[in-house]
Order: sequence, then C-alpha cells, then structure tokens
Amino acid sequence: MDVGTLTQQLVNALTLGAIYALIALGYTMVYGIIELINFAHGDVFMVGSFVSLWLLADFFGLRGPINNLPELAAVLTAAFLFSMVVMGLVGVIIERFAYRRLRNAPRLAPLITAIGVSFILQNLIQIWRGPAQLNSPQLIDVQAGFYVGAAFVRWISVFVISLAIGLMIALKIFVSKTRMGRAMRSTALDREAAQLMGVDINTTIALTFFIGSALAGAAGVVQGLYYGYTFFTIGFQGGLKAFTAAVLGGIGNTTGAALGGFAIGFIEVFTSQAGYANWSEAIVFTILILVLVFRPTGLLGQHQTERA
Amino acid sequence: MKFRPLAMVAVVALVASGCSSSASTTGPTIVKIGVELPLSGGEAPNGGPTLNGIKLAIQQVAVPGYTVQLNVQDDAVNGVNNPDQGAKNIATLVSDTSVFSVVGPFNSAVAKAEIPVSNEAGLIQCSPANTNSTLTIGATALALRQAHPDKIAYVRVVANDDFQGLADATIAYKDLSKKSMYIVDDQTTYGKYLADVVQAQFTKMGGKIVKRDGAGANVSDYTSLLTAAKALGPDVVFYGGVTSTGGGVLRKQMVANGMGDLPFIGGDGISDGAAAVPSSFLNIAGDQGDVNTWMTTAGAHDIPDRATLASAYKTAFSAELGAYSAAAYACTQVYLQALTAVGPDREKIRAYVTDTTHSFNTVLGNIGFDANGDINQHIISYYQFDPTTKDWKFVRQNDPTQA
Repeated sequence: MDVGTLTQQLVNALTLGAIYALIALGYTMVYGIIELINFAHGDVFMVGSFVSLWLLADFFGLRGPINNLPELAAVLTAAFLFSMVVMGLVGVIIERFAYRRLRNAPRLAPLITAIGVSFILQNLIQIWRGPAQLNSPQLIDVQAGFYVGAAFVRWISVFVISLAIGLMIALKIFVSKTRMGRAMRSTALDREAAQLMGVDINTTIALTFFIGSALAGAAGVVQGLYYGYTFFTIGFQGGLKAFTAAVLGGIGNTTGAALGGFAIGFIEVFTSQAGYANWSEAIVFTILILVLVFRPTGLLGQHQTERA
Repeated sequence: MKFRPLAMVAVVALVASGCSSSASTTGPTIVKIGVELPLSGGEAPNGGPTLNGIKLAIQQVAVPGYTVQLNVQDDAVNGVNNPDQGAKNIATLVSDTSVFSVVGPFNSAVAKAEIPVSNEAGLIQCSPANTNSTLTIGATALALRQAHPDKIAYVRVVANDDFQGLADATIAYKDLSKKSMYIVDDQTTYGKYLADVVQAQFTKMGGKIVKRDGAGANVSDYTSLLTAAKALGPDVVFYGGVTSTGGGVLRKQMVANGMGDLPFIGGDGISDGAAAVPSSFLNIAGDQGDVNTWMTTAGAHDIPDRATLASAYKTAFSAELGAYSAAAYACTQVYLQALTAVGPDREKIRAYVTDTTHSFNTVLGNIGFDANGDINQHIISYYQFDPTTKDWKFVRQNDPTQA
C-alpha cells in the first residue's frame, strides 16, 4: 500500500468513525443515566436520515450540490437544526411512553420495549416512504477536495469529521460545565440522592434522551450528505456498530464512545483494504468479545466514576 | 416453519371442488397460473413490469373452455427478494389446486429455494429472468431436483449466465478495449456466479483481474474498497449483482471517489428501468452524465414483433416494456398452449412443456426447452446508458458464443 492510499484510507476511516461516534454517544449517554441499552437508538438515526431527506428533497426541492457558500451554509444549518430538534423530540417521546413507566421494572422489560420501538420506527418509515433505497441530495459536492501529498481529501470528509468533533466537544462542555450537565451527572451517579437534592429526575432523563437522539439526528443528516442515499434498515447496521463502539470505549463514558467509534471505523476500513469486506463485521465483533473478556469495562471505562 | 401440508391441501381441495362443481355447470372452468415474483419496495421495478407481461398475455390469449386467472405471490421481504419467502410462496401455490403452472421466480437465489418444492410437487415453474447456470446444469441442479430427478419441473426462457458472463467480458475486452478489470460481486447465487464467469472469460481473452471483492447487502460503504482498488489502476469495473444489494450505491460512490470516468459493466441485475424509475439502478447511481455504463440482459431485445407488443403494453399499463416483460409473456404463452393441448392437469402440463420435441410459438419466436429445462435460444442483449434520455439504450444482440 502506497502512502497516498494509506492517507486516503485514514481519512475514510476517520469519516466513517465520526458517523459511528455520533450514534454511539446516544447509546452511552442513555446507558450512563438509566443503565438501559436503548436498542431503538440506531433507528432514531435512520429516521433522522429520512427527516432530513424530506426537508431537503421534498420541502426545499433540492437535488444536487449547492455551490454558493453562504446558501450552502444556510441550508445545512437548517437541515441539522431541523433534524436534530425533530429527532430530539422523538427521543423524548420514546422515553416518555416506552421507558419511563418501566424505569424500576426488571431490566429485561425496557430492553424488550426498546426492540419493540425499533420495529415500530422501521415500520412507520416503510409505510411512509416504502421499503426501497431513496436518493438524498448531496449538498456538498462529494467530488470536490484538495491534495495532501499524494492523497486526495474530499471536503465532505473534512466537514463530517469536524462536525462530529465539534458536537462532541460541545457535549463535553455541556455535561461538565453547565447546571443541567451537573444534574445529568448526579442522576447517573445516584438517582435517589440526586432527587433528594432537588434534581428533577424526569426532566433530566428526558434531556439526556433529547441530546442523544439529536446527535443521532445529526448523524442521519450526515448519512444523506455523505452516502447520498438512505434505506429503512440502515439503523440496524449502523446501530449495531455504534453500540459496539460504545461498549468498546467503555459504555457510559462519552469520550470512550467517541474513541470506540473511530476505532470501529479504522477496523472496518482496513479490513476492506485487506480485501475482506464481508468479514468486517465478524472482525469487529471478535475484537468486541476480546475486549469484553480481557477488559470488561472497555477501553476507557472505569469503575463507577463519572458517567453521562 | 411448521404446518400440516396434508390438512391444508385437503381443505383447499374441498373448497376448490365445491367451487368448480358449481362453476362447471354455468360456464368455462376457472384455472390459475401462479405468479411468484418480487413485487414490493426496491424490487418493484423488477417484479412489476414482469407481472404486467403475464397479465397482458392472459388478456390477449384466450383458451376456449377456460377462464385463466392469476394467483400472485410476492417474495420481497423488507424490499429485497427473499429465498425463504419464495419457498413459502411456492408451497402456497402448490396447495392451491386450481394453479396448474407457475411463472417465476425472478432471482436465482430464490429459485434455488423453490425448485426442490416445485419438483417434489410436480408443479411446473417457468422463470422469465433466472440466469444462474447451476439451477439447471451440473451437480447443484441435480441436488435441487432430487425428489424427481427425471421429471424436470423448472424451465426458463432466458439464456444462462455462462452466455451472459461471456457477453459482459466481451464488452470490456472487445468493445471498450480494456485490459485491467476490478470486479465486485454481491455474494448472491446470481452475482457471484456471473462474476466468476466474467473473471474466467476476461482472463481467457487476455485481460487481467486487478482485484476481486465480495461485498454483500450488509456492505453499504464502498469507499474503502474503492480506494484500495483505485490504487491498483483498473480501467474497467464489473459488478455481479443486483440493484437492491448495492449496485446503484457502488456506482454512485465510484463517482464520489474519483472513479466516475471508469467504464462500469453490470449484468441483468441492474436492468431495472430509466433514471426516472424510483430506486432503479440508474436512479440510485445518480445522473452523472456518463456514457460508460453498460448492461446486458439474458434475452432478445429485438423480438419478432416488438412494436406490437410494446404498443399493447403501453396501452394497458402506460409504460414501456420492462427488461423481462416479454419473457414473462412468453412463459405465459407456453402455458396457455399447453393448457389448450392437454388441459389443466399439473403432470400433463409439466410433461408437455418439458418435452424436448415440443416447440412453442411465442413473442420470443419459436422456442423449446432442452433436457435440463434451458431455452434453446441463447441471445444476449447489450445496452449502454444514454445521458440524453437518461435510460438504457439498446446496442445490439447476439449469441456470444457465435459472435
């Protein structure tokens, strides 16, 4: 493999990893606060891609790249805000109806409702848009880019990676510096004690779902921009890998989820490079099993420290 | 799946006999042709026009004494053709005693699951689109029909992939004068075998395969595969597979990764209509204005009276003929001629259709089936993407072994 190809594959891996990381954050935040594996989260990402498709293609009537920079920035901002707010609200609704009443039920019960919600979301999208691949407008010209040495780096990759990192930093600041972030951390640490200290548990948990789902909504917009299509089963695929990323990084730890996402991206890209594209999932899960056996807390997971 | 076939057959037979006794006194006997195609979601561009071919045939061709109806089954699950669903559908059709023959399936992997069922039941299937060679030839085929190895219950009106693969290799090596090929297959029965044939034939002609990747429906990001392949400098790309497992997405990502100017060749799995048809190959691949996308179908484009058929089809369905509409029409014609000759008895129909001495007058011309159930016509049609009409343009047709 020459240096140019290697560099290019590194960029591919970072881009893919950024998408996984955005989804993984939602898994890890929810687990951190209520110790629930929200299996519907992958489908929240999928619905997000359809919501952004609706806004861009059906509402704005866009078909291809926008070359006017201010216009592009305006449309992108609108798409991300819309998809993130809508999906955030969907996340809050899911929590309210499928999980809240089961908060003190045996662990298995909310897990089953999570799988149920996942099917409901997939079926709703199937009814709405049909079970077929649909084209999404790629607003950023996917062929445009610049050379770094021998490697051609596309602007869309730069955009996706910086967006993901930007959102992660914003999340980190929110959780560690704001009053609401402190409420989230204290709820994660000890729900009852937090309640006794005057933290509104329901609002805090709803907020966690809102943020996690909004990030999945952002990943949904990215799916459309980067791949140019969406399909109602992508949530399962993407969700499973993002979940693996969250566990790999140490579930409950947001920095870990981000690192796990990038790790999975690298593993997948270099398995493909080696010619074993069909084995990428097997390899990803083999690594997951090894990590769980030898380091059950994940890469960054520590015993019962800061979560959320 | 657990069910009681005997009980089901008995119930259906009871109901059917009740119906037919009352019907026979008043008019023509109602008989049914079973249809087993992928009809929903991403498969709609495949199954829809094929089903229309069957509908048109039973509208146009009358068989005295019989009213021919359809029993339509869809094998698409979540928008993708599904072999398990196909096998269930065939069992459903077997248990409907008014069904005397079946047109379908569309996909080779589905056929693999269905042939053992129809072979055991002795219900004839005619596929308008299955091209995988192992369905009729060799050890695999024998294993599929082990219930009644001597009684063929599966025929097809399209040439198999040994012919189509040769044609695809010819496009790359002779039409385009390309020497280094990158091959991606979708790991299905159809896609993998077709890619194998192309690989063998292209190498035999003197070309080189720079890389071969298998990427099933679970692969949605071809970026890293393409980056790795690009470094090896291929001058042509072949895709063995169908649109719903990623053909369109692959072509789209080739463009995004600076490989849009490389010629792209695919088999009949990407033949699913113009760019205007939602979820078709050309629609997903995106309108990139390239003329370097080629495709073959296993059957004649220039059939003896295409204009008449096309205009009747347009009147009935307000659409152009699909890639396999004429083939499905021909399957139906074969059945209706057999019905006229021997009546609706399943075994008589099966024996009549598979008799190698019989020939049938169809829209494809005079056709017959060999001892394996393969059509005796080996025509492949060649198409190229036309950026002005945003549709496939017919280039030529021939028997690639004769060309």
